[in-house]
Amino acid sequence: MDSGPSDSTLLLAVAERDLGAFRTLYERHSGWLAIRLARRCNDRDLVADAIGDTFVAVWQKPQGFRGDGDIAAWLWGIAIRRLVSRLRTRGGVAAVFEHAEVAPAAEDQVLLSVEYGDIGQALARLSPEMRAVIQAVVLDGLSAKEAAQLLHVPVSSVKTRLYRAKAHLRAALAEGSS
Amino acid sequence: MTGWHLDDDALRRYVERTDSLAEGTSAEQHLLSCEPCRARVNAAASVIDPSVIDPSVIDFAAVWDRTRDAVEAPRPSVFERLLRGAGLPAHEARLVAVASAFRAVWLTGVVAVLGFAALAAAVGHARGVWLFLAVAPIVPCLVVASSYDPWMDPALEPELVTPYPALRLVLLRTIAVLALALPAVLLFGLVVPGETAFAWLLPAVGFVAVVLAASTWVSPLRAAITVSSAWFALVWLLAARSGSPDAIIQGRAQAGFLVLAAGSFGVFILRRRQLRQLRPWR
Repeated sequence: MDSGPSDSTLLLAVAERDLGAFRTLYERHSGWLAIRLARRCNDRDLVADAIGDTFVAVWQKPQGFRGDGDIAAWLWGIAIRRLVSRLRTRGGVAAVFEHAEVAPAAEDQVLLSVEYGDIGQALARLSPEMRAVIQAVVLDGLSAKEAAQLLHVPVSSVKTRLYRAKAHLRAALAEGSS
Repeated sequence: MTGWHLDDDALRRYVERTDSLAEGTSAEQHLLSCEPCRARVNAAASVIDPSVIDPSVIDFAAVWDRTRDAVEAPRPSVFERLLRGAGLPAHEARLVAVASAFRAVWLTGVVAVLGFAALAAAVGHARGVWLFLAVAPIVPCLVVASSYDPWMDPALEPELVTPYPALRLVLLRTIAVLALALPAVLLFGLVVPGETAFAWLLPAVGFVAVVLAASTWVSPLRAAITVSSAWFALVWLLAARSGSPDAIIQGRAQAGFLVLAAGSFGVFILRRRQLRQLRPWR
């Protein structure tokens, strides 16, 4: 499983128009990319299209990877933007962006606070809208405009929600540490 | 790389999306730099229970097939990409753009003919204006006809084997052709002095409609050639008799062309079912 050529070797081969290497790259990365994209968008077809777009983009411009950092991170950057652009052209489909809203069991709750301390709890107390913005902008590294397209809200809402969410987190953490 | 990896429970929660935001985020950060864990997620992705988490179930083989087809297909022409940019789905853009009229040669020929006519007109020679009036109105209908005549375009035959509303194809192509041909003709029209420059517009639209209507009976190319010949004869006659192009430019004649366009288009819409014969003209 973990044998075989490295991702960067594969990418070089893709630049040489090697379809076999391209296929290996696809098999190695399409799965987890799809799982992660599906956490941002509930529409399976849309996610599948975004995956396809991502690898077409990789084939067309493998030199887009500058050689710094992980190829996986580079791929994710392409994939999330392809998803945003698919959402934009599809228009009507809302990106339902949520974790399963199950209340964590008591022992999970304890585990979480052990593992993540106050941050996990502070995040959990945010409204779903604010969490969505935090995830899109802070964690996925999207611009405010891209996040707005992903979440189907105006850019100004993204900015105010982000501002409020940060203030909320800051307050929650300060409270926790004092 | 660290020695730390996602434990099985965390991995399952991540894939099934029963984790918290903090936990999910941490998993995602780790996955970006940990190939073994990514492989485990891939493996989990292929055995997901669809009833648990439907959206993640993707037919990866089908997506791969589409992706491979996309990268192996020849790059679409500039015009096709333009159509797709205008919002047309990829397969329709291909269907519209494959017509022979869009081959550069064809357009060059059309532009050259018009260029000569406009030049002659601009030089001020009376016969030049006539030449322009004779040529300009028939260019759009000739281009439209050639854009879907199977006799000129063998590439079209296999396309029409697939069920596809012929009306939609013909209209899309007509619009696409006109979008290309009209600006060219218009540009040359600007060189021509006076009202003559725009007098050709309504006859041109009328002729296109006539060709569309006639193509429900005969091949569009034959229709276009007939219309062109008739128009040439008429212009020749008028030129010989009065020597002034007013007869075409005046309001009454222009209104007549408008009626012709509307009537022909009506006939075309009424008889659109006959368009199924689009293929077997011989």
